[in-house]
Amino acid sequence: MTEIKQVRLSGFGGQGVVLAGLLLGQAGVFDGKYISGSNSYGAQARGSGCKSEIVFSDGPVDFPHLTIADILIAMSRGAYDNYCTDVRTESGLILYDQGFVTPKDNLKVKHLGIPANEVSVKRLKNKQVSNIVFLGALIEATRIVSAGAIRKAISMHVSERFRSLNLKALQAGMELGREFNG
Amino acid sequence: MVRALEKYIRPGVKATPFCPGCGHGILMGLILRAIDDLKMDMKKMLFVSGIGCAAWIPSPHYNGDTLHTLHGRALAFATGAKLYNPDLCVMVVSGDGDLSSIGGNHLIHAARRNIDLKVICANNMIYGMTGGQVASTTPRGSKTSTTGEGNPFRPFDLCKLVEGAGATYVARFSVTQPVSLIDSIKKAILHVGFSFIEVLSPCPTQFGRRNRLDRPDEMMKDLIQRCILEQEAEGLTEEEKAEKIITGEFLS
Amino acid sequence: MPFRWVKSPFPKGTYYFSGNEAAAEGAIAAGCRFYAGYPITPSSELMERIAVRLKEVGGVFIQMEDEIASISATIGASWAGAKAMTATSGPGFSLMQESIGYAAFTETPCVIVDVQRAGPCTGQATKVGSGDIMQAKWGSHGDYQVIALSPWSSQEMYDLTLRAFNLSEQYRVPAMVMADEAVGHLRETIRVAPRVEVWDRKKKKGGAPFDIEGEDGVPPMAAFGEGERLSVTGSTHDAYGFRKTDDPEVHARLVGRINQKILNHKRSIIETEDYLLEDAEVALIAYGFTARTSLYAVKRLRKEGQKIGMLRLKTLWPFSDERVAEVGKKVKRIMVPEMNLGQVAGEVKRCVVCDVISLSQTNGEVIGPELLIETLKKI
Ligand SMILES: Cc1ncc(C[n+]2csc(CCOP(=O)(O)OP(=O)(O)O)c2C)c(N)n1
Ligand code: SF4
Ligand SMILES: [Mg+2]
Repeated sequence: MTEIKQVRLSGFGGQGVVLAGLLLGQAGVFDGKYISGSNSYGAQARGSGCKSEIVFSDGPVDFPHLTIADILIAMSRGAYDNYCTDVRTESGLILYDQGFVTPKDNLKVKHLGIPANEVSVKRLKNKQVSNIVFLGALIEATRIVSAGAIRKAISMHVSERFRSLNLKALQAGMELGREFNG
Repeated sequence: MVRALEKYIRPGVKATPFCPGCGHGILMGLILRAIDDLKMDMKKMLFVSGIGCAAWIPSPHYNGDTLHTLHGRALAFATGAKLYNPDLCVMVVSGDGDLSSIGGNHLIHAARRNIDLKVICANNMIYGMTGGQVASTTPRGSKTSTTGEGNPFRPFDLCKLVEGAGATYVARFSVTQPVSLIDSIKKAILHVGFSFIEVLSPCPTQFGRRNRLDRPDEMMKDLIQRCILEQEAEGLTEEEKAEKIITGEFLS
Repeated sequence: MPFRWVKSPFPKGTYYFSGNEAAAEGAIAAGCRFYAGYPITPSSELMERIAVRLKEVGGVFIQMEDEIASISATIGASWAGAKAMTATSGPGFSLMQESIGYAAFTETPCVIVDVQRAGPCTGQATKVGSGDIMQAKWGSHGDYQVIALSPWSSQEMYDLTLRAFNLSEQYRVPAMVMADEAVGHLRETIRVAPRVEVWDRKKKKGGAPFDIEGEDGVPPMAAFGEGERLSVTGSTHDAYGFRKTDDPEVHARLVGRINQKILNHKRSIIETEDYLLEDAEVALIAYGFTARTSLYAVKRLRKEGQKIGMLRLKTLWPFSDERVAEVGKKVKRIMVPEMNLGQVAGEVKRCVVCDVISLSQTNGEVIGPELLIETLKKI
């Protein structure tokens, strides 16, 4: 039986949801996984709600779009409200931004809140990298892809100018995720 | 056609397809004279045309590569061939309707790119092939099969149009000015960039007989009288000028 | 041999490409060295990537003034000797039709990738549809054939674009990749092999470029500038390209030949795939992205004990009449899910006597597993 994990990253346009999805999928490919990724497109990707969905599998993927999320990353309140009920109960996980989201207590899904935006703005002095902070927390908390693979993906897809900033954000995120794991 | 030019005609071609007195037949020979003067290698010449009587000037008659395309699209096809093989000398010969009406957008964009195509527009101021309907080049007031009362709209000045769009060699001559025209075609061939020659070419069948120029020779005489050089136009009043067609090299 | 193995221009390996990017790479691998196009959602990423790649491999890229110009320049470049292509979506595909007929009638190899979106008209520009299937076959006037392939993954955007070039060169016919927005934008793991099989149009000095030479019915094709003094015309023409617009026999023979040269090779052109069909009582016949949903549904329902399978059409045109008919004889029912109002279902009905159900969805969304499974449970 091929094992399948489905990840949904969501937020609003401009938060770097699509890039985070690209990096995550690319890292999966580096790790030797079969990946199918799709994301919001056109006007959606620019304003309002935005999402990127990645299906990870050990073998060829039949239906390439997400059917139910094993993991939801909610970078905004709107994203959380929209998608929090669409996560697999019991085994599912929701990662959300503490600064924006008040989690619902009636969901039978593990929750992990991280101050991604705060870390991005205050510690890294750039409000554009909370997406990468999330990726760091995600891989540390779930090991869905290896840290080496995601670093490689960053050097492949992020322009040189922002590379070290992104790697720092990844590190900061991993620290946040470690707290959760430990 | 004179014997010396026969080698430029594709073996198997027997007669020209044009009506008696059609300017396109004359133009067909004049282009070959220019080619002969320059001793062009026909194996490296590609002639592209659209659809219409004028589009038959090169296709299949000329003994180089000929590409007879769709109505209006000659310049787009020619652009692809020229870009892929820049060694080809690509000449586009087509009608006024073809190049400036249905193909008008391709015309201004090819000019804008200043791509190295030699464009000869056989302007008979009418849609000859389809039965003499009004064209974007038909003079105001002229009668056509779709403007029985006379064309209510003004025509394009094709030379100004392509010059404005970015062409780098622009001229207008009539088939009744063979020496200047051959000279101009030679310059266009040697020019590197978008060259455009508007050639006034009478259509006695569809234009003449509707506009009181019943016999082919009357159309020729009319053109001879009306086509003047830029310098000759200088002393004329606006009214006098309106009757004339200014010919010459406008950009070289 | 008219085909050869060449080293893949893109290093062998595993990549994470969107379908549109993969199609650009497939084209380059096939030897495509000319692209003319005009921006349109959802195909533009293909053009953006190939613009960069053609520069790297010494090819020619040009953004034209519209889609009519794009396909026309593509055909012009093909006669100048290039393996040439364009890509578009519905509105542009509509504009291209007259020139596609020209390519078919002048037997010009060229490839058109249509990343279909939800039509008609401007429709939902960023949303998925597959309403151009019939247009691919019948879009230009008169009787002619094209080859149309239907990719279901990023991998196949690469593989089938490459194959479209090969078929187009082999048969001197316009070949289309009928992708859809979902496949064009789907980003997946794709594998690039170290070597690829590539076909080139055959050539013969002094050959008749528009007549039957050899048993495959495909004439040799020289390029402009090779000294062959070609005469190419979209009017009815004889073996050497002379216009013969008054000769009934020449016209009948030419129209017959450009159709027959494709239909006679249906067996090598058409590719289908069977999934769990051996003992199936119900068959899905699917193509493009919808075949992914269908495979998922088939596997799910098999687990619940339903005897169900799928025939996937990798080639849409020429249509797989024979294979569809065979499946129709074995099963009780066929369902054809598609993102149009039954364009392929109609073709299937033409080929079989069993019950054919058309499951249509034209709302700009892909057909999801739930709809498919629910509908299949009801029948
Ligand atoms: C798309 C399309 N529309 C219309 C026609 C019909 N048609 C053929 S030739 C022609 C006009 C040609 O006029 P012009 O280019 O001025 O050439 P002429 O015959 O006057 O030399 C037209 C409208 C066509 N062949 N294709
Ligand atoms: S219709 Fe006019 S343009 Fe056409 S061949 Fe006759 S005279 Fe010439
Ligand atoms: Mg005309």
